[in-house]
Amino acid sequence: MCVMRLEAATRGLLLGFALLSSGCQQPSSDDVLVLQVWAHAGQAAEREVLRAQLARFNQQYDDIQLNLTLIPERDYNAQVQAAALAGDLPDVLEFDGPYLYNYIWQRHLRPLEDLLPQSLLDDLLPSIVAQGSYGEHLYSVGVYDSGLGLYAQRSALENVGARIPVSNEEAWSIGEFNQILERLAALDEDRAVLDIKLNYSGEWYTYGFSPLLQSAGADLIERESYQASDGTINSPAAVSVMQTLQDWIEAGYVDPNLDDAAFTSGRVALSWVGHWEYARYRDVYPDDLLLLPLPDFGRGSRTGQGSWNWGITSHSPHPRAAAQFIEFLMRTHEVLVMCEANAAVPGTRSAVRQSALYGDEGPLALFAAQLLQGVSVPRPKTPAYPVITTEFQKAFQRIRNGGDVAQALDTAAEKIDQDIVDNQGYPFLPR
Amino acid sequence: MIATGEQENKRNKRLAWLFVLPALLGLLLFVLIPFLLAVMLSFTNLRLGSPLPLEFVGFNQYRRIFADEAFMAALRNNALFALIVVPLQTALALLLALLVNQPLRGMTVFRSLFFMPVVFPLSLVAVVWILVFAPGPQGLLNHVLDTLSLGGWRPRDFLHDPAWALPAISLTSIWQGVGFQMVILLAALQGIPRELYDAARVDGADRWQQFVFITLPQLRNAMIFVVLVTTILAFRLFDQVQIMTQGGPNHATTTVMYEAVNTAFGSQQVARAAAMTVVFFLVVLLITLLQRAVARHKGVYE
Amino acid sequence: MTGEPYFRKLLVYFLLIALALSFFAPVAMMLLGSFKPDDEVLLQGGGLLSALPADFSWFNYQDVFARVPFLRYLFNSALIGACIVAGGLLVNSMAGYAFARLRWSGRERLLVVVVALMIIPLEAIAVPLFYQVTLLGWRDTYWVQIIPFVANAFAIYLFYSFFLDLPKELEEAACIDGAGPWRIFFSIVAPNAKPVFATVAVLTFLTQWGAFLWPLMVTHSEAVRPLPLGIAMFYSLPPLQWGDIFAFGVMMVMPVLLIFVLFQRWFVQGVATTGIKG
Repeated sequence: MCVMRLEAATRGLLLGFALLSSGCQQPSSDDVLVLQVWAHAGQAAEREVLRAQLARFNQQYDDIQLNLTLIPERDYNAQVQAAALAGDLPDVLEFDGPYLYNYIWQRHLRPLEDLLPQSLLDDLLPSIVAQGSYGEHLYSVGVYDSGLGLYAQRSALENVGARIPVSNEEAWSIGEFNQILERLAALDEDRAVLDIKLNYSGEWYTYGFSPLLQSAGADLIERESYQASDGTINSPAAVSVMQTLQDWIEAGYVDPNLDDAAFTSGRVALSWVGHWEYARYRDVYPDDLLLLPLPDFGRGSRTGQGSWNWGITSHSPHPRAAAQFIEFLMRTHEVLVMCEANAAVPGTRSAVRQSALYGDEGPLALFAAQLLQGVSVPRPKTPAYPVITTEFQKAFQRIRNGGDVAQALDTAAEKIDQDIVDNQGYPFLPR
Repeated sequence: MIATGEQENKRNKRLAWLFVLPALLGLLLFVLIPFLLAVMLSFTNLRLGSPLPLEFVGFNQYRRIFADEAFMAALRNNALFALIVVPLQTALALLLALLVNQPLRGMTVFRSLFFMPVVFPLSLVAVVWILVFAPGPQGLLNHVLDTLSLGGWRPRDFLHDPAWALPAISLTSIWQGVGFQMVILLAALQGIPRELYDAARVDGADRWQQFVFITLPQLRNAMIFVVLVTTILAFRLFDQVQIMTQGGPNHATTTVMYEAVNTAFGSQQVARAAAMTVVFFLVVLLITLLQRAVARHKGVYE
Repeated sequence: MTGEPYFRKLLVYFLLIALALSFFAPVAMMLLGSFKPDDEVLLQGGGLLSALPADFSWFNYQDVFARVPFLRYLFNSALIGACIVAGGLLVNSMAGYAFARLRWSGRERLLVVVVALMIIPLEAIAVPLFYQVTLLGWRDTYWVQIIPFVANAFAIYLFYSFFLDLPKELEEAACIDGAGPWRIFFSIVAPNAKPVFATVAVLTFLTQWGAFLWPLMVTHSEAVRPLPLGIAMFYSLPPLQWGDIFAFGVMMVMPVLLIFVLFQRWFVQGVATTGIKG
């Protein structure tokens, strides 16, 4: 029948390309193993460091040759997914935080714990281990992790008589925070006193604001079995959190920040953003810059975590060589060099201890503390993550534009749950 | 016209096929077959990268998309957008063509200026116009409107306002596309025989009558072509939405192509996206055929 | 026309200048922005004049060259564009001519199919096409960015419309002299159809110059990466590097602008005789 032929033809086509997916890797010449490495094209400094690191590795290990391809960050996931479909993945590549799980589910990555030395595994930050683990194995390690908090001008806060929290436990309650916003706005010409990076696009919204849901006792999805969002992402607590956000925007407290200079030009006193802005902000306010925890919505101040992490593809013919490269990147010295370039939180305890920024007396010690103490919450570890984040971002946009909060979150829950059902709950299938 | 002899006729027929073969082959392989594949896929549950087996689901995807408020909003927006942009852009193009057709000096410069936006890739246009629409008094458009209205204009966040977002995108599209239509209409204008105007003036017709009774009818074919192409292009609206508004606020600017691409790559639902593009194709085909039928009915010959 | 009142001339010029200014304004923003540091991208509250750079600097341009292999991307885009245009002009013009002038079975029906195919945008077929080219092993090459776009329904239709209206005398004369369709097309029709060739060339080139989605899906290495993917480098989170984006944008548009200016006269003439009869 026509229908059967249709199905058979589709299967045939996909089988065809699946056969092709059995890996087209670079041939290695003689004793030199050639490894393809993909990384995201981040800030200029990061790229320079990475290139230098690869060069050093190539020099040190002359039986391994690394070829680096840098891919624009914004479309990184799309390109990796396309390559994954075509069986064109490199030997070793980066993944952007929680997008990892989808690739693990698609069986593109191989476990790492048997390839990396135990001393390294023990030295990793708990957040890094949490991020890279899925099921019973560790599939990725991150050279660095991220920190998320509230930067502030000390002088502005002192002006309005605000209490200054010095640790996560002392974070402002949401009531206090609202008051501070009000007082700051009263003194500000355009009433915009808070920058939440509305000029960013994409993943920022999930990263930067889902911790609030957790702080209020809600979440993006229930984390027992990762099967449903309904009742979690649209619980009354979640609705109240997002409503608060919408209220800030509608009260005019939030600067649209199109030129990304709201904080640096002094238009706003508070900037809600991650570690990557530290260097720029410190240059503008060398003595006046404060780093504060995010406000507490009831269950304690929570923050985000997760960043780029490295994994080895399951089709790579040279996993040991690839693991050597990852081990190289995770050496304390190398970790510190990279973290110096991007001001991120080092991924190993030894590196944190030696870091000027994140060590005990460092200005960003708060970030390190949050990651070490488990105050940070990983984004949901599920192959459904791409859909979860897409729907949350859409809901955020609707809320930010004045839409009905409960409805936006309900729609998100519906779409997410539908996707999970469509994929039969994302079962981890045996090979 | 190609002449005599049966043998020659046959040979000519074969030659004709040789002429069209490369192009038709290309269209077959790279447009028709992928589209038919997409149609086939729309009856499955294909996902972008999944270890789960592929299943045949009948009309399920179609049922889903018609129940999806975003998709229905997209269909509405596409229709709305076409209704706004096609007449406005065509009218503006006609105005520009008429102006630039005047026997005055410097017309080449103006022609180039008006055509310049066409030269820009849509993605770049979208990025620049984000700044033009920047909220607050620092945004270019807000500033200009404020100056023109002598301070009576309240700055608006065009791209995030449900009422202004689609008009904003329409403005961007018109800016980018009108130059091309202008050139087409200009060429048609230049093809109108001078004698017609001379005769009309002799008969005592004023400028307005000349315009209505000579210019417009002579331009009819060009206008129809322009309307057809602009309609098709209007339905394909994607880049501006992707870059400037991401379909918001609250689905005010989402379009069918935007929903399709984001369903395929964002939500990874390839089969559902395929269903959307099939619906898209049918809708636009219908409209195109309707337009051609109306044109034919009004006595326009092929 | 003599005796034109000055008023009318003034009105025309006024309208033209007003419209031209509004058309040029966004372009001006981009141009000016490319010479300013990133955080001055919005008007600095001094009225329109504050759009002018406080410190005119080539920094952004230098930065673009320092950060990405711009010339390589430029070469790639140019090569791909040129191949698509060259191949397309040949293949689509022949097809258009066959539809317009030659008699063969299935002509009318196929023409309808061609018109229908004009509707299908790339986004609709991107995924199936992606699977196809993956099967062929074309990923990450120049070919995959060229071959699928050589045959173009819109171009065929343009050629068809043009050739329909071409005066038949020249061809009839050649026919009487015993020339076959090949010779007629290549030696007589084509040389006299320069305008439509120029039109199609410019339009095709314009479309390909900005192509983003397809190269995104089918390439990853810098060796074959075209300009639109290159500019994406500057869109990475965090801050949008407006200055670099503008500098890149200006440089990206220059070549095409140049082509248009050069071809301008042909272009207008060409469309004139495209016999736009629906």
